[in-house]
Amino acid sequence: MRFVDMWKFVHDGRVDVYLQRIIDNSSTLKGYDFDTLHENAKQGIPALLMTRTTPKSLGYEQIHDNLPWYTKTGRLEFYREEPEFLNYGENLPVHREPVDGTPYEPNVIVARAHAFIQPEAPTAYGKAWSDLSAEDRQVRNRVVAPDALASTAHPLKAQSFTHVFITPKYRHGAHTTPIDLDMVALWFGPFGDIYRHDKRMPWVGEGYVDLNPADARALGIEDGDYIWLDGDPQDRPYRGWTAASTEYKVARCKLRARYYPGLLPGVARSWFHMYGATYGSVEGHETNPDKLARNPRTNYQAMFRYGSHQSATRAWLRPTMSTDSVARKTYFGQTVGEGYEMDVNTVTGAPKESFVKLTRAEDGDPAGGLWRPARLGYRPGYETAAFLQFLRGEFVEKV
Amino acid sequence: MATVYNWQIGRDMSYWYPQARPSKQFAMVFDTNKCIACQTCTMACKNAWTSGRGQEYMFWNNVETKPYGGYPQAWDSKLLEVLGPQQWNGTTYRGKTIFEAAPAGERSVGIQPDDPDYTSPNIGEDEVFGQVEKGLKVIMPHTPWMFYLPRICNHCTYPSCLASCPRGSVYKRPEDGIVLIDQGRCRGYRECVRGCPYKKSFFRSTSGISEKCIGCYPLVERGLQTFCVQNCIGKIRMMGFLHTPEASVPDNPLDFLVHEKHLALPLYPQFGLEANIYYVPPIHVPLPYLEQIFGPRAQEAVANYKAAWSDPEVVGLIELFGSTDRIMNSFKLIGDEAVGYNASGAEVVRVPLKEPVHLRAAYDAALQVERRSIT
Repeated sequence: MRFVDMWKFVHDGRVDVYLQRIIDNSSTLKGYDFDTLHENAKQGIPALLMTRTTPKSLGYEQIHDNLPWYTKTGRLEFYREEPEFLNYGENLPVHREPVDGTPYEPNVIVARAHAFIQPEAPTAYGKAWSDLSAEDRQVRNRVVAPDALASTAHPLKAQSFTHVFITPKYRHGAHTTPIDLDMVALWFGPFGDIYRHDKRMPWVGEGYVDLNPADARALGIEDGDYIWLDGDPQDRPYRGWTAASTEYKVARCKLRARYYPGLLPGVARSWFHMYGATYGSVEGHETNPDKLARNPRTNYQAMFRYGSHQSATRAWLRPTMSTDSVARKTYFGQTVGEGYEMDVNTVTGAPKESFVKLTRAEDGDPAGGLWRPARLGYRPGYETAAFLQFLRGEFVEKV
Repeated sequence: MATVYNWQIGRDMSYWYPQARPSKQFAMVFDTNKCIACQTCTMACKNAWTSGRGQEYMFWNNVETKPYGGYPQAWDSKLLEVLGPQQWNGTTYRGKTIFEAAPAGERSVGIQPDDPDYTSPNIGEDEVFGQVEKGLKVIMPHTPWMFYLPRICNHCTYPSCLASCPRGSVYKRPEDGIVLIDQGRCRGYRECVRGCPYKKSFFRSTSGISEKCIGCYPLVERGLQTFCVQNCIGKIRMMGFLHTPEASVPDNPLDFLVHEKHLALPLYPQFGLEANIYYVPPIHVPLPYLEQIFGPRAQEAVANYKAAWSDPEVVGLIELFGSTDRIMNSFKLIGDEAVGYNASGAEVVRVPLKEPVHLRAAYDAALQVERRSIT
C-alpha cells in the first residue's frame, strides 16, 4: 500500500468520495449529500451543521434531557478529591497567581484559611520555604490570603523588573500564517512601512510591545523607541546564556515600544504571532545590503531584529494540569474515561506571560530623536494643541 | 466659480464647475458599530486593483482607528486645523467649505501629504483617547473611547479632485456618479492628491500619473456590489444608489437609511463635497467628536440607531447588509423576511428578520444518528 493508493480518489479527481465518507460518519453531517451541498454552495445557499440545536446550545441535553455532564459523578463538580489536588491545595476552587507573570509572589494559592486547603509544604519535597527559583516555584504551595497578596513581591522586583508581560493572540491572526504575507505584516500593528524608510526594520512590519504611557515615561522610553525586553535571567532567553555569545545576541529580544493608553500601569503586551529572529535572520540583518532580517540562504524572514516575544516567556509545568487521575470525556464520542487524553491532560504550559525588565536601546527615528509621528504630535502623550482640539471635537460648534 | 446646492450643508455654495448631478449616484452605507477593523475590505481591494509596481503603498480602501489613526497620517486633523473652528447653525453650515476657504488663485484648500505620511497605515490601531485607569467602569458614551472608520473614495457630488485638476482629467460618470481619473489624460501634477480632503487620490511613481478608487465600476455595470462590500465579513456595508432628499424613494435601501430614517451620515460634510459614503455613527463615542466628523445630525442618528431594534423595516434592511453580491434597488418586508430586489424588480435575496432556532431529535432513527451539542 502506497500513499498514491491511500488517496486513490484524489488522484482520480473524485475528492467527493472522501468528503461523502466524512459526511456519512459525522453525527452533525449525516444525511447530507455532498453533490447537493456543493451545488447549493455555488448559489450561495448555506447548510446547517446538525447539532442538537441551531444555534448550538452547550448543555442543552444536560438541562432538558437530564443527561449526565462529562464528569466522574455526572454532575457539575466543584470539589476535586483526587490526591494530586489535595496535595496541591486545589481541591476547592482557588486562585493561583501566575508562575511568573505577576508583580506579587509567584504561584501562591490565593485563599483565606480553610480546613480543606492543606497543601504539602515545600519542606515535604526537601525544599526551603524561601526557595523561589524558577523551577521549584512551579510546584510550590503557599497559601496567601487575598488582602495579604499585595504586600508580597516577585523576587525580580529588586532587580528593576517592572512589568507583567502578556503575549495574547492578535484578533486578526491565527498562529503565524496571516503574517506570512507582506501586505498583512504591513497592517500588523503601527510600525508598518512597505518601503522600509527606516532600514533598521526587520521587514515591512515588525514586533512591538505596548506600554502604558506613564510607565514608559518613567523608564525613559519614548513612543517608537527600540527597547530590550528581558525575562528572568535564570533561564531566559535560555539556560546558561553568556552576554558575549552569538546565541545571546540572536536570542535577546529587541523590539519597538508603543505608547498605548488602553493598558493599566504595570502591564506590557505583545502579540504572539510574529516570526522570531534566528542565526540566519540576524546574519541577514547585519550583512544584507538592505538590512532585511532575512536568512540569506533560506529566505526565512523574521519580524524581529533580535530575539522575539518568546525570548522572555517559557512553558511552566503545573502539576494539576498534568494529572492522570481526572475523569474526562474522550476527545471523540460520548464516553467518559480516566487518564491521559490529548487536549485535556497534555501539558497546558504554552509560553504566554512573564515578568520583565524594559531597557531603552535606540531612538525611534533612524537619524536620532523621536519617532516621526510622535515628533509631529499625533501620538498619545505627544499631542500638539491642535491635535488635542481634534481629539476633543472642538473644530466644529453648533450655534 | 459656480453656485451649487449642497443638501448636506443645507445651503448653496461655490464650486469650480456648475451643478451636474448624475442620473444615479453610487453610494454606500457603513455601519461603524459593526466594523471590527479586520481589514478584509482593504485586502480585497488591494488584491483586485493595486497589486502592481508603484502601488505598494496605496490603499484605496482602508480602515483606521479613530481618533489616533489616519491613512495618510493626520489627513483630517491637519485640514481641520487649517480651516479652524467652524460653526453649524442647526443643520445649516455657517462655516467655510474647502472651496470657500481656498486661498487666492487656488480652487480649494488642500494639503499635500509628505511621503512618510503614507507609512504606518495602521497607526493608532485600537488606541483610546483617555487613559484606562484601575476601576474603570464602562459608561455611555465611553471614556476612554475609540472606534473604527472604514474609508474609500466618497465619489462626491462636488469632487475636489475633479475641481483641482488643471487638465480636466478627472470626471464623474453621468450614469452612476463614479469619479474616475482619465489615465490617458492625467500628467501627474498631483493637484487631485492635494485637493482631495479625504486623501483618496494617489500618485503612482512608476507611471507618473495618479490613480484612485474606481468604485469597482466593472462590477457595478453588471449590477454587482463592489469587492470591499462583497468581502466584508462583518456585513457592515451596503452599496446602492442614493437620491437627493427631496427625491427620496422610501423603499430604496440607501434612501431609506439616509433620508427616511436618518441613520447614516456623510463624513466631514463641512468640507462641502457632498460625499456619498454614509456612516451609521458609533453610539459609544462622545458627541462633540461625532459632530465634528459626521455633522450636526449625529445625536439624532445615534438615537435612531439605538431604537432601531423596534423597527422591523430597519432590522430587515440591516439583515440584508452583506447578504448578497447583487445591488438592491428596493426592498420590502414579507412576513418575517426581508426581501431585496434588483433594478428590474426581480428578487435577488431573502433573509429572515430573526435567526431561526432549530431543535433536532436526540436520535434520528431513520438515519441512525445521534444529534449532539458536544461531539
